[in-house]
Amino acid sequence: MESLLDIFVLENSQLIEQLEQTILCTEKSIGIDGAVDEIFRIMHTLKGSASMMMYDNIASLAHSMEDLFSHIRANGPDNLDNSRICDLVLSSIDFLKNEIGKLENEQAADGDSFPYIQLIEEYLNHLQAGESELDAPESIYAPAPPALDGGVFSTPLPEQLPRYRALVFFSPGCEMENMRAFGIVHRIKDLVIIEDYIPSDIAANSSSSELIKQNGFDLVFSCSLPAEEIRNLFIKDPFVDSLELSVLEEEYPETAMTSEEEPHIPPVEERDCSVECKEAGAGSGLHLVNNRGNHISVNLQKLDLLMDLVGELVISQAMISLNPDMSLAAQLDGFQKAARQHSKIINELQDIVMSIRMVPLDMTFQKMHRIVRDMNKKLGKNVVLEISGQDTEVDKNIIDHLSDPLMHLIRNAIDHGIESPEERARLGKPAEARVRLEAKNESGDVYILVSDDGAGLDREKILARARERGLLSTKDRDLSDADIYSCILRPGFSTCDQVSEFSGRGVGMDVVASNIEGVGGAVVVSSTPGQGTTVSLKIPLTLAIINGMQVRVGQSIYIIPITSIRESLKIRKENILHDPEGRELIMLRGQCYPVIRLYQHFRIKSDQKDLTQGIIIIAENDSRSVCLFVDALLGEQQIVVKALPRYLGKIKGIGGCTLLGTGQASLILDVAGLFEQPA
Amino acid sequence: MKTVLVVDDALFMRHSIKLALEKNGFKVVGEATNGLEAAEKYAELFPDLVTMDITMPDYDGIEGVKLIKQINANAKIIMISAMGYESFVMDAIMAGAAGFLVKPFKEEKIVEVLKAI
Amino acid sequence: MADVKEELSQEEDTQKGKFLTFLVGREEYGIEIKYVTEIIGGIQAITEVPEVPPYVKGIINLRGKIIPVLDVNLRFKKEAREYDDRTCIIVIDIYDLCVGLIVDHVAEVVAMADEEIAPPPDARSGFHSSYIKGIGKVGTAVKLILDCQCLLNHDDFSSLHQIA
Repeated sequence: MESLLDIFVLENSQLIEQLEQTILCTEKSIGIDGAVDEIFRIMHTLKGSASMMMYDNIASLAHSMEDLFSHIRANGPDNLDNSRICDLVLSSIDFLKNEIGKLENEQAADGDSFPYIQLIEEYLNHLQAGESELDAPESIYAPAPPALDGGVFSTPLPEQLPRYRALVFFSPGCEMENMRAFGIVHRIKDLVIIEDYIPSDIAANSSSSELIKQNGFDLVFSCSLPAEEIRNLFIKDPFVDSLELSVLEEEYPETAMTSEEEPHIPPVEERDCSVECKEAGAGSGLHLVNNRGNHISVNLQKLDLLMDLVGELVISQAMISLNPDMSLAAQLDGFQKAARQHSKIINELQDIVMSIRMVPLDMTFQKMHRIVRDMNKKLGKNVVLEISGQDTEVDKNIIDHLSDPLMHLIRNAIDHGIESPEERARLGKPAEARVRLEAKNESGDVYILVSDDGAGLDREKILARARERGLLSTKDRDLSDADIYSCILRPGFSTCDQVSEFSGRGVGMDVVASNIEGVGGAVVVSSTPGQGTTVSLKIPLTLAIINGMQVRVGQSIYIIPITSIRESLKIRKENILHDPEGRELIMLRGQCYPVIRLYQHFRIKSDQKDLTQGIIIIAENDSRSVCLFVDALLGEQQIVVKALPRYLGKIKGIGGCTLLGTGQASLILDVAGLFEQPA
Repeated sequence: MKTVLVVDDALFMRHSIKLALEKNGFKVVGEATNGLEAAEKYAELFPDLVTMDITMPDYDGIEGVKLIKQINANAKIIMISAMGYESFVMDAIMAGAAGFLVKPFKEEKIVEVLKAI
Repeated sequence: MADVKEELSQEEDTQKGKFLTFLVGREEYGIEIKYVTEIIGGIQAITEVPEVPPYVKGIINLRGKIIPVLDVNLRFKKEAREYDDRTCIIVIDIYDLCVGLIVDHVAEVVAMADEEIAPPPDARSGFHSSYIKGIGKVGTAVKLILDCQCLLNHDDFSSLHQIA
């Protein structure tokens, strides 16, 4: 079972994230008042949980926030300084996030929330001072009408009943003593005739609990029950610390009696509730509850484990069906059928497990609103973030790697892409600048586009810098725009001290690129001067299982992802050409392809050196194609992608590794990497 | 073994209460996240006891108590309240809650309270 | 929790001062036993990996886990030796990095107290000691205590990657 701490961290970080989104949404549209209830409720929950865990700094911040918002709730959101209050909440959110982050990393939540509390209280005081004197400044929780308070029960007493006095003390630290007293009154009110109690304002005045703490709860009543039963009535509440029960002498000699009048309080509330019940039963609330019941949250580690197991299952299935010992069995019809069924079920299982791991990009995208808001404030720009395709789903493991790069891209877009308001005005561009964040599915990959309507990239400046940094070879006359723009993704293109001087981008773009490549994706930059820049991230749907073609090169077996293969074929001598530099090319149906002999590329021994004897695989990536020369095709198989051991670092042209049916490790080619110049 | 339905919108609180109770010989047979769900679960499970949070979205704990009391007037419900919610606690008591606890509470306390009713 | 910690510390205690020794060439080396997770006798199929230094022989499948293997001979810039039936792979796990070391053969597990381990002679004496963190003596035999971390560092080759 997960620990309480895990649950605390998980639940509350979700709540806070949700809160942040709400604030960012409402701040722009309807103002904070749309979010008051939600903020209040979340802070209330957080306070409760944090105080149970004794995270006092978190609990007290949540508490003061709760106070602030309950005040706003009670007094209406008029005259609120929307921006100030959003700042207050957001800065508190940052603090809370940070503290919860510490807990998540098994550190102590030791941050000092006092400065935040002070700010909140200051503002609360300011609000309270601002309210007209007619409003009672205190008492955030409007007390209910004092239906049961002293005096109400001054019904005449039946003379024959013995009268009692009870003095009750509650156990220290039980809190809300007045409500405990109220509970007692409520519990006994139908069984005894209550004359009076002190303090008398237990229901209406919460400060009466202080009096009860000091002097006890003093109650006079009469009833026919034996003393022992009365005692039991009182100590039903385990918080009753001591009870002094004494029989009173006849003190009030005259009590006029009309015996028909039963001392009975009509159960008003019960009548109310029957009405509400019907509404509740018929209401749409039922729907909501049922929906919630259909979801459970699962520990990600368990999912990872499940994924691994399914991966092993896929491998072991291949081990069975491709096992040489099976070649005999393979001729048997029954075995064939059973094996097909088996592999079909495993495929389905795999699909389901994969789909469990798919998470919509929504949350990741929503986070960006905060970045835009903060950047706007900091830089004095007016940028609107437009989001689309946030329902697109990506494997959970990949999504975790997208946040930072996206944040970076959006910061860059606002900081360097979008012009200053003055500049935009001069250019006649709309004052409201746009940054778009868009996701879409395309042929087995997910594309995420970050685009802005800013100044665009400065081709010449990038070219100049790239030359200066030695990132381009001299013969760059026939470089395409894409080639030039992609320079900004290279490490060492730009360093921090050039941020201000350089009008384009490039700040940390290499980090973005390496993050995205790390999950098997690719980054492409395009730009139109004066109209903006688009950075598109191509992300694989999943890292885990792919269809791969096994190929043999010399003694080695490599896997080429099926998605990268356009076709495979044998060629004739006349297909082979050489360019002036002596490089091999293959001409097929009027198109010319460069050739990579894998045995050369990977520097391994192979006896098959004749292009016409081996197999040519036309592999493509982002509209670029290349012919890969291999000895033989061994067949298509589903494979479980594993990362290369960390020790080996990143190897150009290798995307990962896997285990073959034989148990041998094999490398998976990364076609995009093969296009790059070998080291 | 006494059966308990735990009602709270916070997973953390549900879990804390469940842990505390199950360590002490209670059986948590169900959980609910608002008053309406609580009543539905109550009707389905008929637990001996209910712990009920007060502030929950859509249908709060007071409504939960009222609904459950409709199902079974003798249902034993313990409210779990935060500090400062006197009037809500009062409503709950009037609606028929058997007792209440104030957050944060110690494990012994909730056990004590549930054993007492 | 407390039990687990105790157990761990006990385990650490029993491992303390113990070394697995093995032969590479004529030298006998030792590594702290706490790093060793297992010893694989014989050499199984190694999958070659391109663009790595020659001493990285490739990757192997260790019960579903893929780990890289290093030839210690080559790591010490000595001449390559043919693998035979005494050749072993020592699997070590150091700071979550799991690596197999190919050695000529595994000798024994010995206990050496701290006092029995002398610091390596310093570089001025001409002894190339970047992988050795101490010299242990058991009777008359001398065992070179390997610094596993240095053994796994390969700045020379990560810089190679940077250029690429």
